[in-house]
Amino acid sequence: MAPPVKDERAGKWPSDFILDLYSNLLTEMWELVSALVGEAILAYLFTLAIRKIGEKYSFLNSIKVSEDGVSMEEMRQDYRTLSPVEIHRGFQGLINHLSQLFSALAEGVINKELFPRVFPKFKEAERIISQK
Amino acid sequence: MRLIFKNLNVLRSTINAISTSIEIKEIVESAVNNLPHLFDFSSFGMFWKEDLLLFLYQEESCPLSFAQEVVKNMVKFFSILGEESIDVERISVQAEKRKLRPGQMMMDPKATLKSRLTLPLAVEGEILGCISLNSDQPNAFDAQDLQFLSVIGYQMAATLKHFQRFSSIKNIAIYDTLTGLFNRRYFEERLGIEAQKSFYGGTPLSLVMVDIDLFKKVNDTFGHTEGDQVLCKISSLLKGSVRKKDTVARYGGEEFILILPGAGLEESFVIAERIRRLVENTVFEVGRAQVNLTLSMGISNFPSHRAKSKEELVKMADQALYDAKRGGRNKVCIFAGKSAQWTVG
Repeated sequence: MAPPVKDERAGKWPSDFILDLYSNLLTEMWELVSALVGEAILAYLFTLAIRKIGEKYSFLNSIKVSEDGVSMEEMRQDYRTLSPVEIHRGFQGLINHLSQLFSALAEGVINKELFPRVFPKFKEAERIISQK
Repeated sequence: MRLIFKNLNVLRSTINAISTSIEIKEIVESAVNNLPHLFDFSSFGMFWKEDLLLFLYQEESCPLSFAQEVVKNMVKFFSILGEESIDVERISVQAEKRKLRPGQMMMDPKATLKSRLTLPLAVEGEILGCISLNSDQPNAFDAQDLQFLSVIGYQMAATLKHFQRFSSIKNIAIYDTLTGLFNRRYFEERLGIEAQKSFYGGTPLSLVMVDIDLFKKVNDTFGHTEGDQVLCKISSLLKGSVRKKDTVARYGGEEFILILPGAGLEESFVIAERIRRLVENTVFEVGRAQVNLTLSMGISNFPSHRAKSKEELVKMADQALYDAKRGGRNKVCIFAGKSAQWTVG
């Protein structure tokens, strides 16, 4: 695979676009779900999901989770050179696992609110990847 | 709008009731008493991981199969969260039937679990257990129900955490860390209560002071780690040889003391003699060696010995123990004034 190339006009690496997209999506998910189940439970579920999916996609382990939310700053510094496809698959796995946990909690109640926001972002990520 | 205010008021009083509860059962009761004002449900459960205890409140007409399904689901949910599987057989279920639904709403005897909200009791990054609201109706819960239940769950988790901390401080204060028996401090407190009951109520009360014969030799020969294991083994023999209402405490070093409420001289002698024989016939594995040990014991009794205070009762048992030692050890002695009455082991 060819090494990633920086997009000079936007001043961004290809992975930055995908990271931005998922960073926004996770923040949105946090705001929505924390309003339903509270920060303590959600922080626990995020930690659980990151630990599980981080076994396959180790870059996810650098996401910081607290009751204040999720932060991906550390990831931005260290994983800039990862391929966008790898990042996309990692986050897709993480979000799918979170959806399964939400389903175990409240069947469709959370996912009903969540899916309309998540699917367009997955599609958007796939579009970015295919353009690159 | 009026309905939201009403619900918020119920929620507020539920949280208040939970936060002022001090026992685990009281915490669950505070929640379940208020839940029917907020939700339409068939059963509510709370699983407490520490004791593998599941409190289950069901609608009066709830069939057994429904309750079983709820329990199975809660355990499965907790296993997903805790990343460890829990054997459902090990869980102790405390089930109770109540009127949870208004009016005449009866459940179908063949009802199955159609909707549920299950939330972990999460506090400070730790999962203490989970709560679950269940219904035989499809799509019984919505986002607002989830919000309300999560607020209740959070308060339950916070109060349970206080309860857990309080219990652990209480345990440190009353138990001997090595043997798990009550400590001397607790013994003094318990004796105060039992002595007061006996002195004023005229009921008998016996004390048995116990000492391991030549225990110093065990420590000197095999070391203190092995000696500690012997203390633990004897503690467990003592604990298993008394009645439920008796108190066994470590008095200090290799000395133990038993409080036997309601036991006359004869009965306490039978108990002490049984313990003496049990230890005498037990082979203790100390390191690679097998060792035989014996106990000396002294008994005092109210009203037989006319003790006027709890301190005096302890002194009398101690005197009887001293006589058992002086008489050659491996004996049970009953206090008898200046001269003790004893049995040859």
